[in-house]
Amino acid sequence: MSWQTVVGLEIHAQMATRSKMFCSCRRETGVDPNHNICPVCSGWPGALPVINEAAVRYAIRAAICLDCTIQRESRFDRKNYFYPDLPKGYQISQFYRPYALGGAISFEREDATAGRLPLVRIHMEEDAGKTIHSADGTSRIDLNRCSSPLLEIVTEPLEMSGIEAASCVRSLRDLLRWVGVTDGDMEKGNLRCDVNVSVRPDASAELGTRTELKNLNSFVSIQRSVEVESKRQIEVLEKGGTIRQETRLWDQDLEVTEEMRSKEDSPDYRYFPEPDLPVVVIEQQDIDRERQSLPELPAERFRRLVDDLGLDPKEASPILARRENCDFFFALLEAGLSAASASNWFRGEVLRHLNDRSERIDQYPLAAEAIASVVKAVEEDRISVGKGREILQQALDEQRDPSEILSESGEQISDHSALVGWVTSVMSENPGAVNKIKSGDSKPMGFLMGQLMKASGGQAHPRLAQELLQKMIEQD
Amino acid sequence: MSSPQQYPPREATVQEALQWISDGRCSSHDLVSRYLDFLETEGKELGAVVETFETEALAAAKLSDKRREQSELLGPLDGIPFTAKMNITTAVGTTDASSSMLVGFKAGEDATVVRRLLAGGAVLVGKTSCDEFAMGATNETSCHGVVANPWDRSRVPGGSSGGAAALAGSHGWAFHLGSDTGGSIRLPAAFCSATGFKPTWGRVSRRGLIAFGSSLDQIGPIARDASDCALVLDCIEGADPLDSTSLHQLDESRDPIEKVALVSEGFGPGIDDSIREAVRAAAEQMEQHGVEITEVSLPQLHAANACYQVIATAEASSNLARYDGIHVGNRVAADDLQLLYEKSRRAGFGVEVRRRILLGTFVLSAGYRDAYYSRAQAVRDLIREGVDHALEQVDALLLPVSPFAPFPIGERIDDPIALYACDILTVTANLAGVPALALPCGFDEAGLPIGMQLMGARGSDRRLLQLGQQWQQWTAHHRDLPVGSPS
Repeated sequence: MSWQTVVGLEIHAQMATRSKMFCSCRRETGVDPNHNICPVCSGWPGALPVINEAAVRYAIRAAICLDCTIQRESRFDRKNYFYPDLPKGYQISQFYRPYALGGAISFEREDATAGRLPLVRIHMEEDAGKTIHSADGTSRIDLNRCSSPLLEIVTEPLEMSGIEAASCVRSLRDLLRWVGVTDGDMEKGNLRCDVNVSVRPDASAELGTRTELKNLNSFVSIQRSVEVESKRQIEVLEKGGTIRQETRLWDQDLEVTEEMRSKEDSPDYRYFPEPDLPVVVIEQQDIDRERQSLPELPAERFRRLVDDLGLDPKEASPILARRENCDFFFALLEAGLSAASASNWFRGEVLRHLNDRSERIDQYPLAAEAIASVVKAVEEDRISVGKGREILQQALDEQRDPSEILSESGEQISDHSALVGWVTSVMSENPGAVNKIKSGDSKPMGFLMGQLMKASGGQAHPRLAQELLQKMIEQD
Repeated sequence: MSSPQQYPPREATVQEALQWISDGRCSSHDLVSRYLDFLETEGKELGAVVETFETEALAAAKLSDKRREQSELLGPLDGIPFTAKMNITTAVGTTDASSSMLVGFKAGEDATVVRRLLAGGAVLVGKTSCDEFAMGATNETSCHGVVANPWDRSRVPGGSSGGAAALAGSHGWAFHLGSDTGGSIRLPAAFCSATGFKPTWGRVSRRGLIAFGSSLDQIGPIARDASDCALVLDCIEGADPLDSTSLHQLDESRDPIEKVALVSEGFGPGIDDSIREAVRAAAEQMEQHGVEITEVSLPQLHAANACYQVIATAEASSNLARYDGIHVGNRVAADDLQLLYEKSRRAGFGVEVRRRILLGTFVLSAGYRDAYYSRAQAVRDLIREGVDHALEQVDALLLPVSPFAPFPIGERIDDPIALYACDILTVTANLAGVPALALPCGFDEAGLPIGMQLMGARGSDRRLLQLGQQWQQWTAHHRDLPVGSPS
């Protein structure tokens, strides 16, 4: 029997606001524990939450990008449960009346067709703190993260593979990061994902019983946990068993899912409207203002790259992974490069440098103009491609301006008599290689070219030199 | 400093005391110093005062006198002593909501109301006892012990702001901050023959008030008369960026109240005869002074107390979840987390608080929520509509504060239903979010105080207080002091 896997996602994205959801504490991690706390986020008696307007603006932005229907009135509710890193004994969330309904995540199917994962809702809420367990058995609470603003994005269930589920989250992450709503860093926990998985015999059958996999913190975990969990469910069903609705934990080392708690054991959160906060009113003008302040979205940029600039869609994707990357690409165009060469050099060199150096583009020391000057030198045949790459690498290594290195290094020599001189000397010094080529073995050609470039101090025009070498050997 | 020849009369209001100071008959330092003596002696004998701040208060009074000399007063309350209820945070002293859970808790910052009063030059002299977490109608659930009614020390002062009302009922010169979730300002004011005011919900910032039922809680003054209450309200009201439910627009109408309706349900069975008569007599006095008196029925009132018990306990169960022994609140060590929660909460909370947390948890639980919490919300809407509708016809509603006179200590504390009956006439104002003013209106045959309350439309706080002031000009009930009070 062929089974179909159905996946629904609940994604928590920490909003990249300056302060927390309900107080003016800085939303930053990487400082000493309990450094950014105040009576409000630590739940002191008498303290009251005040909605961070920036967080609401960010939330509106996300809803616009995801094509949701923004509700004019929404409301916060209390989700009550006891946990050491939840100092108030409840989390302020939006349960009954979330601020955004509907919408969808666009993603790429495995067969490269366009997929669309519909959303149920998005709501705003606050994050919990962190419990740090020490080896000596003591536990400590760090409230720095407590009350950081979160968006919870809940999708409908949709038939998809593990790879596609991960692709959905990646696509959502890229989009939200593009518009500055979140840093979207799964490793740092500011993007987290719960996955609901069920299987059914075919697309016409009713949805099967789902299990929920909690707190997946990488794209690989999302992909693999869906694959492993759907396989587990299929095996159970094929043996005549039934799936219980439950929450399961993903063990990424063993690549198995384990039962955490059944539906019956799930806590009763006793939601009720948060009496300390007024109704959130979002007027059309608030939405319009956010819409106007949005940067050009990836879909529009994609269209420009592919339709207007003629790039292959496969080339366009890496350029569009982050808005800053794309901005850099456009800066290369502005500096006078053609789309094709900007794409080649950006993907071939810039992205490779970033990868080597584990940097983001905003930390990249080379300016687009400087890179463009080197690329132009290559395109005008003043230096070789290899030399161009070398200059960029040298600029990075020595923290220098590439155009300076370019001007220091001699330009390519195309002068015929100079080339003839180098060819003649290389041929006379390597008669054995010349003879091999003459007898039909072209292998030593590379060796001779290497010798020639060395003799010219790297300045011989490689293509012209090779053509001349070829011709002179034939005529020898 | 030379000691003054005399002090204002003991029953003198804040405004009268101010007159003494501005006339130079005594200084703020004299007044505060003498008032501290009262707190340390009678205040503590009554069980009304938990902490006094002698050093800080005398220093502040001295500064006030200096400002007065230089005509640089900070506000109309400059130099006047006041107390805060134990559930209102103060930078000085402790704020324990009269609960073992929080004994010794230092909030480290002033509630917005306290901050505003201090900025206006008022002098914080102490903290008053109240029912634990403001849950109670008798001030018998305080971890600091029972508070006695100054009119009969064998009887309860009412609650939960019992300490504040006991002070206001037995001595003037000062005012007291209380809080009112279901009658906690008005009931003790009535029981102790003081004037207490619960403002419109949102008119006064709740920042710094230890939450009980957030959608009902409101801070307000308890003092000798409505005029003093108005003076305090002037200072503490208004939008607060730290409380997003605080109102940005206050109705400033001062049109005199012309029409008052007696609420029939406040004069029906279950209400003491002497109380019915005293409030009706008050209405007649108003009528003689030109106020049009009618009668209106508010049948929703019968459902008000049940509705209140569900909503207040639901919110309380959530508001008190933070006292888990891990963060704020006293911890009882245990080997595992669950035990730590259980032991800390069992040790920290008294019986009444535990009862309300359990009830509130129950009414919000899956399977029961619709029958209790959701239904109570629907009933609350009906009550609000009923009150609003009645207040479209008249300017204010008049009814007793309590159905009965102050009763002996211990009489009802083990009978929650009898205890909750104290609130039947007061909770409606909290559910509807409207202002309500409790005024002394006489004494029963046993000499126990009787209080009446005026309820107005949301935002009509000032008009209500104005009617109270007028009425107190026509009558003198609020001037009385318990027999045997030292002069």
